Amino acid sequence: MTTIRRFCCNDLLRFTSVNLDHLTETFNMSFYMTYLARWPDYFHVAEGPVMGKVEGQGESWHGHVTAVTVSPEYRRQQLAKKLMNLLEDISDKIDKAYFVDLFVRASNTPAIKMYEKLGYVIYRRVLRYYSGEEDGLDMRKALSRDVEKKSMIPLKRPVTPDELEYD
Amino acid sequence: MASKFGLAGGIPERRVRPIWDAIDSRQFKNALKHSTALLAKYPTSPYALALKAVILERMGKFDEALSVSLNAKELLYKNDSNLMDDLTLSTLQIVFQRLDHLDLATSCYDHACGKFPNNLELMMGLFNCYVREYSFVKQQQTAIKMYKLVGEERFLLWAVCSIQLQVLCGNGGEKLLFLAEGLLKKHVASHSLHEPEALIVYISILEQQAKYGDALEILSKLGSLLMIEVDKLRMQGRLLARQGDFAAAAKIYEKILQLSSDDWECFLHYLSCLLEDESSWCNGATDDPIHTKKFVDCKLSHLTDEVFDSRILDASNFVQKLQADTSNNFLRCPYLGNLEIERRKLLYGKNNDDELMESLMQYFSRFGHLACFTSDVEKFLLVLSPDKKTKFQEKLMGNSSSLSTEPIKALGQSITLLKIQELIGNMYKLPVVVSLKSYVILKLPVLPLELESSAVQMLEMYLKNLPLSKDLDLQESMHGEELLSMASNVLVQLFCRTRNFGYFMEAIMVLEFGLIIRRKFVVGNNACTCGRCGRYVWQYKILLVHLYSHLGALSLAYEWYKALDGKNILMETVSHHILPQMLVSPLWMDLNNLLIDYLKFMDEHFRESADLTFLAYRHRNYSKVIEFVQFKERLQRSNQYLMARVESPILQLKQNADNIEEEESVLESLKSGIHFLELSKEIGSKSLTFNEDWQSRPWWTPTPEKNYLLGPFEGISYCPKENLVEEREANVRRVVERKSLLPRMIYLSIQSASASLKENLKVNGSMSDQNISSELKHLLGQYAKMLGFSLSDAIEVVMGVSKGQKSFETFGADMIDWLDFAVFLNAWNLNSHEVMQPNVDGSGPCTWHIVNSLLKKCILERIGSMESHICSPQSDLPSLVQLVTEPLAWHNLVMQSCVRSSLPSGKKKKKSGCTDQSPLSHTVRDSIQSICGLVEEVAKWLKHHINRSEDENLDIILSSVRRDEGPGRIFQILETSNATINETELGDRISQALKSWSPIGVAMKIIRGQRTVLEKFLGICESKIKSLQALQHQMAQV
Repeated sequence: MTTIRRFCCNDLLRFTSVNLDHLTETFNMSFYMTYLARWPDYFHVAEGPVMGKVEGQGESWHGHVTAVTVSPEYRRQQLAKKLMNLLEDISDKIDKAYFVDLFVRASNTPAIKMYEKLGYVIYRRVLRYYSGEEDGLDMRKALSRDVEKKSMIPLKRPVTPDELEYD
Repeated sequence: MASKFGLAGGIPERRVRPIWDAIDSRQFKNALKHSTALLAKYPTSPYALALKAVILERMGKFDEALSVSLNAKELLYKNDSNLMDDLTLSTLQIVFQRLDHLDLATSCYDHACGKFPNNLELMMGLFNCYVREYSFVKQQQTAIKMYKLVGEERFLLWAVCSIQLQVLCGNGGEKLLFLAEGLLKKHVASHSLHEPEALIVYISILEQQAKYGDALEILSKLGSLLMIEVDKLRMQGRLLARQGDFAAAAKIYEKILQLSSDDWECFLHYLSCLLEDESSWCNGATDDPIHTKKFVDCKLSHLTDEVFDSRILDASNFVQKLQADTSNNFLRCPYLGNLEIERRKLLYGKNNDDELMESLMQYFSRFGHLACFTSDVEKFLLVLSPDKKTKFQEKLMGNSSSLSTEPIKALGQSITLLKIQELIGNMYKLPVVVSLKSYVILKLPVLPLELESSAVQMLEMYLKNLPLSKDLDLQESMHGEELLSMASNVLVQLFCRTRNFGYFMEAIMVLEFGLIIRRKFVVGNNACTCGRCGRYVWQYKILLVHLYSHLGALSLAYEWYKALDGKNILMETVSHHILPQMLVSPLWMDLNNLLIDYLKFMDEHFRESADLTFLAYRHRNYSKVIEFVQFKERLQRSNQYLMARVESPILQLKQNADNIEEEESVLESLKSGIHFLELSKEIGSKSLTFNEDWQSRPWWTPTPEKNYLLGPFEGISYCPKENLVEEREANVRRVVERKSLLPRMIYLSIQSASASLKENLKVNGSMSDQNISSELKHLLGQYAKMLGFSLSDAIEVVMGVSKGQKSFETFGADMIDWLDFAVFLNAWNLNSHEVMQPNVDGSGPCTWHIVNSLLKKCILERIGSMESHICSPQSDLPSLVQLVTEPLAWHNLVMQSCVRSSLPSGKKKKKSGCTDQSPLSHTVRDSIQSICGLVEEVAKWLKHHINRSEDENLDIILSSVRRDEGPGRIFQILETSNATINETELGDRISQALKSWSPIGVAMKIIRGQRTVLEKFLGICESKIKSLQALQHQMAQV
C-alpha cells in the first residue's frame, strides 16, 4: 500500500514507527516546518519521508538530501531508491541543479552502501560533523547539467565543519 | 541578528555592531555596558532603548525589559517621523513577543503604518504582527492595502490565504470564499498567475465552493505552472471525479498509473471512478488524517450487471498490462489491484470467496516473504467470513511445504504464516496445551495446535535463523526479529488465560533476550553504553515498557521508555506508553521531567508556529500557510496536552502537600486555581484531538484505559484497534473536567478550614467566610454532578459507604474522586456546618469521621490484598499510591490549616470556641492520629517488602519458570541458548551477545526495579508521617 506524495504536517504524527528507528533522526518542529515552508517540492513521503532542499551559487547550485528513511516493514523493497530518484529528478529537471549531495555518518555502512549503489560517491570526509563526535561523509552525484561530472571528483583531504559552504 | 544593520534612528552602525555581537555571543553584561554608553550619547533614541530592552529580556529581567520597551514605544510615538524605521520596530517587536505582549508590537507597527501609509516595509511588518496574533481579518485588510499599493501577486495571495483562514479556522462564513475567488479572477484576467502555489490556492478556493468545472478550466489554463506532472494529474483526476465525470477521471488516473505504477491511492481512485463510486471523495473521507482506517469504504455500485462486468474487465485488463509492463519485482500495486478488483466483485455479489482467496494465494506466492504482506492483505481478509478466513489459513499451511528455497525468503514466508494466524484471530482460539495424543493424530504440519508450542516454535525459529544475520551490520534489523515480539504476545495471552505468572515472566525474558542480541559489545564483552546503541529494536522496548509497568517495576519501564529517545514530535505520539502509569506512581521526579519536557515542546511549537507561518508566506508557499495554522490548532486541542496542563500543577500540589506554606505558594503561583476552573468549563465544548500512535501498543492494552489482563479472558478475540477514540474522548473530557477543579477546591478547602477557626476573616482582602462556603459548595455540586449525582445524593453515598450501609462498589472506578469529594466536603462543612455536627464532646458522626474511616477502609483493604507484590502483576499499588498522595494529602492540608489557625501566635487571638475543650480540636487531634497511624501502616507494609532478601525474591521468580508443568519451556530454551554456541555459524558479534545473556540478571533487574518504586513510595510516606507527627506536636501545645 504505497503512494509517494508530498509531505504535510499531519505526516509528522503518522510516522512514529519510522522515527523510533534508531537510524532515523527526529528533528525539532521548526526544522521540519522550515523545510516545508521553503522547499515543499523537496519533501515527499512514501512509507517514510525524504526531505531536502536546493541551494548554492553558480556551479555549486545543488539539491541536498537532508534525510531519507523507510519504515522497517517496507524495507528491502527499493523504496529509498524511489524517493531519492524523485528528489534527484526535481533537482535536475525543475531546479536545473548541477549535483545532489548528502551527508551520512561514517559508521552508517548500510546507508553508505545504498547511496553508492544509487550512483553517489564519497566526495569528502567532514571531520567530527555529527555533534563534534563522529565524522560525516559528504556524498555526491552529478546531474545532467554537470556534463563532465566535475562536482563529484573526490577531494583529497578531509574538511572541518566550518569549512563547509552550507550546513 | 547582526546582519540587520543600517542607520537606525540616526545611530551609526559601528556603534551598534558591538552590542549585537555581544548579544549574539550571549555576553549580556558586556552588551549592557555598550548599551549604557550608547544611551548616554543618544538618550532619546527609541532604537537605543529597544536594544537595551532586548538585552534585559535575554538576561531574564522581564519587568525592566518591558518598562524600557514601553519607554521606547512612547518615544517612537512622540518622535519625528524620520525615526520611525523598521529596524527599531522589529527590534521592539522581538522584545514584546518574547514578553508575551504581541498587542504592543502590533500597535507600534499600526501607529507607524498610520504615519507612513505607503511604506511597504512597515506594512509587511504589520502583516507579520497580525500573523503572530492569528488575526485573520486584519491580515486580510493589510494584505489588500499592500496589493492595492504595488499590485503584486504575492500580496493578493496573502489576502486570499487570510480569507481562507477565516473560513477554515475562524468565524468567517463560506461566502468569504466568493470574495477571494473574485479577487483572484480579476487578477488573473489582467496579470495571469506566476506561482504554482498561487494556482493551488486558487483551485482549493474553487473546490471548497464545489465549483469543480471552474477549477478544471483554471487548471487547464494555468496547469503548466505545476512542474511535477503527477501532481497536476492528481488534481485533475480529483476535480473530474468530484464533478461526477468519472469516465474522464478514470482516464487521468490511468495516466498517473502509467507514470507511476506503484501508486496505490491512485489505483483506488481509478477503480472507484470506473465503478462510479464517489465515497473516496465525499466529505469526511479524510476525517481523521492520522489514524487511517484499515478498511477502505466503498459504495456498492448502482451500475447494471453488464456495465459492472465490462468496467471490471477494463480494470483487470489494465492491471494485467501494468503487471506485464514492469520488470520490477518489488512493485506491489498492480498485484494488490487484482485483490481489490476481487474484493469489489465479492461485495457486488459477482464472485464467491474462493476467487478472492485464490488471488490472495497468488499474492502470497509473490510477496509472502515481505514484512508488509500481512498489513497489505488485512483489508481483504476482513471481507471474508470467519470460516473462509480459517480455510485461507489452512490453504496457506497446505502450501507450506513449498516455501522458498532461499532461506531468508523462506523465513519471511514462515513469519507471514504466523502473522496471518495472529491476524485472523485463530491464535486466540487455540487451547493452551493439547494432549500429545491428539497432537499425533492431527499431525499439523507447520503450526502447532496449542499456544505454548506456538511460542516455542517462534523462539526456535528465531534461534535457528540467527546465522542468516551473521554478516549484517549491527545497525540493520536482523532477519526474523518480529518473531520474538510475536512469541512475547503469545506468552502474555497464555498468562491472560491461565493466570500463571511464569508465562508473564517468559514474555519479558524473550524480549530482553532479543535486546541483548542487538547490543553492541566492546572490548571485554562489555555492553556499549552509548545512547545510540541502546536504541535498537524499539518494538521490544515498547512491549517491555508495558510489561514492566504491569508488573509494578515502573522505574524499569521508564528506563526502557527513555531508551526509545522519544523527543520532539514523538513526545506527542509516544508518551502514552508511559505517562498514564507515571501519573499514578510515586516516581515524581521522573514524572515531573516527562511533563515539563512535553509541555515545553508543545508550548515552544505554539510560540514559533506563527513565525514559521510567516516564513511560508514569504516563500510563497501559500498552501503551507493554511496547513501550519491548522496543525497548530490540532496540537492545541490535543487531549494529551490538556491532560498534561492539568496534571502538571496537580503534581506540584502533591509534592508540596506536607507543608501548608509551600502548598500555599504553589497555589498562589496557580492564581488560586482560577484558570483551571475556566479550563474545566471550556473542555466540554472543545473538540479534542488524539495524535497518539496506537499501532505500537500491545494487543492487551490498546488504549491506556483498557487492559485486558485485568479482566476475564473470555470474549477477547482479535482486538481491532479502531473505534476507540470516541470512548477515549469522553473519558479524557471527564478526567480533565474533574481534575481541573482540584487546585481551586484545595485552595478553598484550606481557606475554609482556617476560616472555621479564625475570628477576623477579611484580612488583606482575603475571601469572606460566606464566599468561601458558597464557592466551595458550588464546586462540590459540580464535582458530584461529574460523579453522576446531585450534591445531596453524593453526600448520602459517602455517608452510607463510610458507615458500611453501602458497599465500596458504589464508588466503582471513581474511588479516588469519591474520596477527594469526601475530603472537600469535610472542609466545606467545617465552615458551613450544613451537613452535620459532632456532639458537644466531639463524639458521634461528623464529616471528619467520614473521611477518616473511608481512607482507613480503602487503604487497609489495598494493603491486605497485596500480600505478594513480587509476582502479582498490576497489583493495587497504583491506587494505594493515589490514595496516599491525593485524598489523604489534601485531608492532611485541611488538618494543617486547622492546626495553624488554632495555634496562639503573636497578635492573633485564639477563637474563643477553639480551646483544648473545643469539640473541633478533639476531632482534629483524633483525625491526625488516625491518619498518621494509617500512613505508618502503609510504611510498615512497604518496609516489609523492601527488606525482603533479593534471594528470596529471585527464588519466587525463578520457581515460576522452572516448573514441571505449565511455563518453563521457553525459559529453558533461553537459559541454555548459550550453552553450545557455534561461533563460525553465528559470527563474532552474535556469539558474544549470546554469551553475555543472563536470565538471572533480568530477574534481578526486575526485583530492583520494583524495589525502587516501593522505596520512592516509602519516602513519600515518611515525609507525610513527619508532617503529621509535627502536627500532633503542635496540637499538644494548643
